[in-house]
Amino acid sequence: MRAAISRVDGSADFISQQNFDRAVARVVRLISIPAESAEWFSEKDLVPASRWTWKKMMRNPAVLAISIAVVVIAGVFVFNFLSHLNDFPGSATARKLLGTAASTRPVMLDPVTAEAGTLSDLFFMKHGLEHYDVPAEFADFGTIGCRVFEDDESRRVAQIWIAEKRMQFFLFPAERDSKTGAVLRFPGWRYVHQEGWTGSVTEHSGVCFMAAIRGRAKDLETYIAMPKQ
Amino acid sequence: MLGDSRKAQEVFHATLREAAQRAAHGELPEEPFWLFREARWRCLEATKDDLQPEAVEIDEHDLGVTAASQIERLDPVQLAIWISAAPDPQRSALALFYLDEFDYRDILDLAELKLNELSRLLARGRRQLQAWLDAKFPQPGHA
Repeated sequence: MRAAISRVDGSADFISQQNFDRAVARVVRLISIPAESAEWFSEKDLVPASRWTWKKMMRNPAVLAISIAVVVIAGVFVFNFLSHLNDFPGSATARKLLGTAASTRPVMLDPVTAEAGTLSDLFFMKHGLEHYDVPAEFADFGTIGCRVFEDDESRRVAQIWIAEKRMQFFLFPAERDSKTGAVLRFPGWRYVHQEGWTGSVTEHSGVCFMAAIRGRAKDLETYIAMPKQ
Repeated sequence: MLGDSRKAQEVFHATLREAAQRAAHGELPEEPFWLFREARWRCLEATKDDLQPEAVEIDEHDLGVTAASQIERLDPVQLAIWISAAPDPQRSALALFYLDEFDYRDILDLAELKLNELSRLLARGRRQLQAWLDAKFPQPGHA
């Protein structure tokens, strides 16, 4: 067909034939369609389109899937936002140490039976750690062991195991400004939570102290609120 | 195809009814143009018992240079009747070709023709139409 067309293309006969066909096609287009049949080709909708409703749209699997995805993403964002709402300098380290508390066994510590407040001298004399002092609120707690170790950032952390309620204390260097080296201080006690553990943290003289307990913040609040005898 | 608007309407509605029923049963054929093929067969069926064109030799003329102007003077209804009066498959070939909606391959498929058959039918149809136009609108100096 193409070969035949290309052979005759441009010839007077072919042009004449094309003109003839176009002219006939133009007249054919003018042939009237019966009115009743023409109605079938009207642009009106014979079947009215179903009304758009929120309910129907929400049942659409694609919309449903997108909605669930958006809710999940929003939930993650809200969770992250809320969990970092109460962040303070050193909170990241405190959370890591709560993980350490959860995995520590008593045999990993050197057995020491004393009052927690007295271990400051031990840390200073044996390990050269200054200001690793247990705050007054927790100084009277009896210890069953302690150790000093380096965390993943080579900071020296003191860990004390307390007899009461399997509580653990951590003393670690406070976070510092990366430019000036100044200690980033925060007032009072702050709480962190990690995998069922709760830590109550305070900072003093460039050293953070954390009392960690397996439980809720309320369990620690009683000790912090307790006036020193 | 029919030259009769009432019959055309009946065929049209019957074809659409058939399509609606098939659609309702989920049995719409996947092949393209099945609706047109169905309509064509219904047209042929509708004219089966009508008076058939006589098998006579129809004049044929070469296409003239003034053919386009002759065609413009033609009443569309008269052209429709002229095409519908042609014996099938020439009628189908002319109707489908001058509807200007299908390419050659579609027409071959719809009218169940071979390429050389379609070519011959169209060529003869043009020459016969030209002869009819010459008879209807004689051109001065044309024999």
